[in-house]
Amino acid sequence: MDSLKGKGKAGSKGASKLDLLKEWTNWSLKKAKVATHYGFIPLVIVIGMNSDPKPHLFQLLSPV
Amino acid sequence: MADLFPPLVTAQIDDKPKVDEKVDYSNLPCPVPYEELHREAYMSLKTDNFEGLRFDFTKGLNQKFALCHSVMMGPTEVPSQSPDTTIKIPTAHYEFGANYVDPKLMLVGRVMTDGRVSARVRADLTEKLMVKANAMLTNEPHMSHGMFHFDYMGSDYRAQLQFGNSALIGASYIQSVTPRLSLGGEVFWAGVPRKSGVGYAARYETDKMVASGQVASTGLAVMNYVQKVSDKVSLATDFSYNYFSRETVASVGYDYILRQSRVRGKIDSNGVASALLEERLSMGLNFLISAELDHKKKDYKFGFGLTVG
Repeated sequence: MDSLKGKGKAGSKGASKLDLLKEWTNWSLKKAKVATHYGFIPLVIVIGMNSDPKPHLFQLLSPV
Repeated sequence: MADLFPPLVTAQIDDKPKVDEKVDYSNLPCPVPYEELHREAYMSLKTDNFEGLRFDFTKGLNQKFALCHSVMMGPTEVPSQSPDTTIKIPTAHYEFGANYVDPKLMLVGRVMTDGRVSARVRADLTEKLMVKANAMLTNEPHMSHGMFHFDYMGSDYRAQLQFGNSALIGASYIQSVTPRLSLGGEVFWAGVPRKSGVGYAARYETDKMVASGQVASTGLAVMNYVQKVSDKVSLATDFSYNYFSRETVASVGYDYILRQSRVRGKIDSNGVASALLEERLSMGLNFLISAELDHKKKDYKFGFGLTVG
């Protein structure tokens, strides 16, 4: 709402607020994408290793 | 007059089932989710035929947690200039996956040797509200995509809201109108190719058959019918028509679910005949054979695989 009001009142101030918001969302989405790309599978493994009954690390790594 | 015509016993018997069948409109069952409208038809007809070797090994560490390794070796198709020729490049890849399945939370992640990660999350926030997310992430810029879905399940309806990257927003709603018929609609808006669309769908099911149809403003009209002939056999047919490009495809298929195996076969109006056999050799060991013959393009694909666990 603030950004819309800002746009009406003073063009440059409003435009920069909207731009800042866009830039911030783009930056956070990029970081979230990288975090998910590298971290999703380790997250699943951590959640799985901590569930009941707790499996051993050996079971995680052995091929059998 | 009543004395001349003695009451027929059959009339009374007919009355009973009619009373039972009186529809209780306040207590209708919850319909299937909108994306699973054509579930029975797709289970029988859209088989994942593959070419080459496929080996899947799933190791369960726990009731809820499992790791899977899969190896696929075979030619993969590359889109070619002319529609008559198909270019295939032999590739081999290994995929590692981790699954965590809980009644309230499901996490499935897969990573391939070329760095592509596919992730699926499904979480039940409350009894009625469910969040689903799936993403396919690659190292190449601008080639990743992801979608979020929020599902709300009411007593006899379901509503869903979807958000995807590159500004894709969609909503769908499906309602049970009678115990057997459910009607639904969807709306979507895609930001990048500035397109929006509306679609309608209907599904009628009984114990023995399921018929469903869907029409969308993107030009696609789909109708399918599945008849469950017995516990083990079902026959399905599907008809899809694109009214902008005037392309039609009709297919007929069967699905035999036997004790030790499952066979699915299908023939298409494009001249494609395909079949998939999954045989359970012993506990946890499944053998797969897939064949797809495309007589029009002269493309014949055969594959075999083994699934362990």
